Amino acid sequence: MAFVNFLVYLAIMMGIYGILSLSLNLQYGFTGLANFGQVGFFCLGAYITTIITLTFGLPFILGLIISMVVAGLFGYVIAIPTADLKEDYWAIVTLASAEIVRMFFLNEDWVVGGGVYRGGAFGVGGIPQPLKSYFSAQSYPFFYFIIVLICLIATYLIINKLTRSPYGIVLKSIREGEDRLAQAMGKDVKRFRLKTMAVGGMFGGLAGCLWAHYYGFISPRQFLPLETFIVWAMVIVGGKGNNKGAILGAVIIIIFYHSTRYLKDYIPVEEVTLASLRMVAIGILIVLVMLFMKEGIIKEKKPVY
Amino acid sequence: MTLIQVIVNSIIRASELALLALGLTIVYDILKFANFAHTELAMVGAYIAFIFNVGLGLPIAVAAIIAAIATGLFSILIDRAVFKKMRESTGIIVMVTSMGVGIALRNTVRAIWGPDAQNYAVPLQKPIVTAWFRITPLQVWIIVIGVLAMVAFYLLLHYTTLGKAMRATSDDPALAQASGIATEKIITYVWFIAISFASLGGVLIGMETYIQPVMGFAIIIPVFCAAIMGGIGNPYGAMLGALALGLAENFGLYINFGKVLNLGGLLPFSKDFYIPTGYKPAISFIILIVVLLVRPRGILGKKKEG
Repeated sequence: MAFVNFLVYLAIMMGIYGILSLSLNLQYGFTGLANFGQVGFFCLGAYITTIITLTFGLPFILGLIISMVVAGLFGYVIAIPTADLKEDYWAIVTLASAEIVRMFFLNEDWVVGGGVYRGGAFGVGGIPQPLKSYFSAQSYPFFYFIIVLICLIATYLIINKLTRSPYGIVLKSIREGEDRLAQAMGKDVKRFRLKTMAVGGMFGGLAGCLWAHYYGFISPRQFLPLETFIVWAMVIVGGKGNNKGAILGAVIIIIFYHSTRYLKDYIPVEEVTLASLRMVAIGILIVLVMLFMKEGIIKEKKPVY
Repeated sequence: MTLIQVIVNSIIRASELALLALGLTIVYDILKFANFAHTELAMVGAYIAFIFNVGLGLPIAVAAIIAAIATGLFSILIDRAVFKKMRESTGIIVMVTSMGVGIALRNTVRAIWGPDAQNYAVPLQKPIVTAWFRITPLQVWIIVIGVLAMVAFYLLLHYTTLGKAMRATSDDPALAQASGIATEKIITYVWFIAISFASLGGVLIGMETYIQPVMGFAIIIPVFCAAIMGGIGNPYGAMLGALALGLAENFGLYINFGKVLNLGGLLPFSKDFYIPTGYKPAISFIILIVVLLVRPRGILGKKKEG
């Protein structure tokens, strides 16, 4: 049974990270926007849904919708200063934005209601799990997996539809540095970038919401910049500009990440060292893929004219 | 805290930031990518100095010099192994790769030395106290080294053949190569100079506070901010940006914004308001945003690029 539980846990993680990966793929893979702050949306989604459902006691579905809207708006707003600029500026501004989000929830414990040892660095627990009372502790993860799966499929379908539409073609022309081509077609490149950050941000927020209700406990420590780069590894390994690739990348990285946890049973290393070595491997993996397999595992479908 | 103390603190911070921002900007200038591993290399330098200082018992000055040379050479090695193969790639590809390099470096150090903060074997120093401010001898050294490094860089850029070649490569790599400048050789020198400076900055920061694997990541935003503020790719801009940021960070926490809001007591409301210290890192970010909105090419923006 323990093993089955572990598999369900893995599947839920794959689903949540799959959504993050699809969202980043829309921004980086299709539009060429270097979002180094994906974890900011994730964090925002998690905290907003916690405030909605825990502080205000409103239902899960409202938490989900509002966290998506807020994260989407956040994506739109942080893209404004860099909308006309090159990728280097995107990278640093998004990275910094994510840090600001984390810093905000680290310093402002009142947003989650405050209290002794609650909020801020202590994190906040007791986040309600949707329809928990209808299930036993054993069967609930299976139900939650279905919620995550539905969200993942919805995300996939929406982003897939978007990237295959004329909208997606504009995004690709922006990525290829063909701003003028897009402009010649009468497209406002700046607005497309802003919209893409908003849509991507929305799904980042969705992932955060699902994460918060699954764990029932969140703290700023869970939303370190490292998370962003794990998602980057997923997109890069799976194949940028390809939605199936983004999900495959999430599956591979999650399996790698969690299977190595058990290495400490076989080789004498401490947990903290193992965690570092795992990230060394992720860093090297990113470099190797960028050097030798730029397209990732599943290549982007290039239209044939 | 007196006003002069705030200015002194700003200059100390600016000297550290300038050592890092300068290297970031010259690598960007020659190689056209934002190196997200830059501050991680500074952290590696700080740990190499730690080996020689604490491990082998050498004085910190010697350890810092060895570390600067070793880290500079190490960066050339990384360039040969990774970035050299990507000269034709677009900026975003190389940037993402540099981020991967940075993650690998930070976590390698973390795996070896653990995540906790450590100190160099430097005796606690008695600060020099004057009527207006106090400063430790180390902080004096930070300023001296910062200024010397900037002057050395200026002389290098303007009075040596290497500097001339660097400027030519920056302006037009193809033309420089056609004129007989071995651009690959220039790139090697640029890495060495940029990362030695960064390593020195890392050691100085480590001496003033402590060294930790996350120290590189912790300064990435201010360092990029300083470089962008001065106009990325412009070495003097980076120095100016570092100074501006040093002042902003320290004055940001010093100013009573409550007084600013009621115009120094002219308006009939008064409530003290200071930026909470927890938000100190946010100051550089806010400034970055303002700069990008108002003058995206920085104070001393460079002609091309956008």
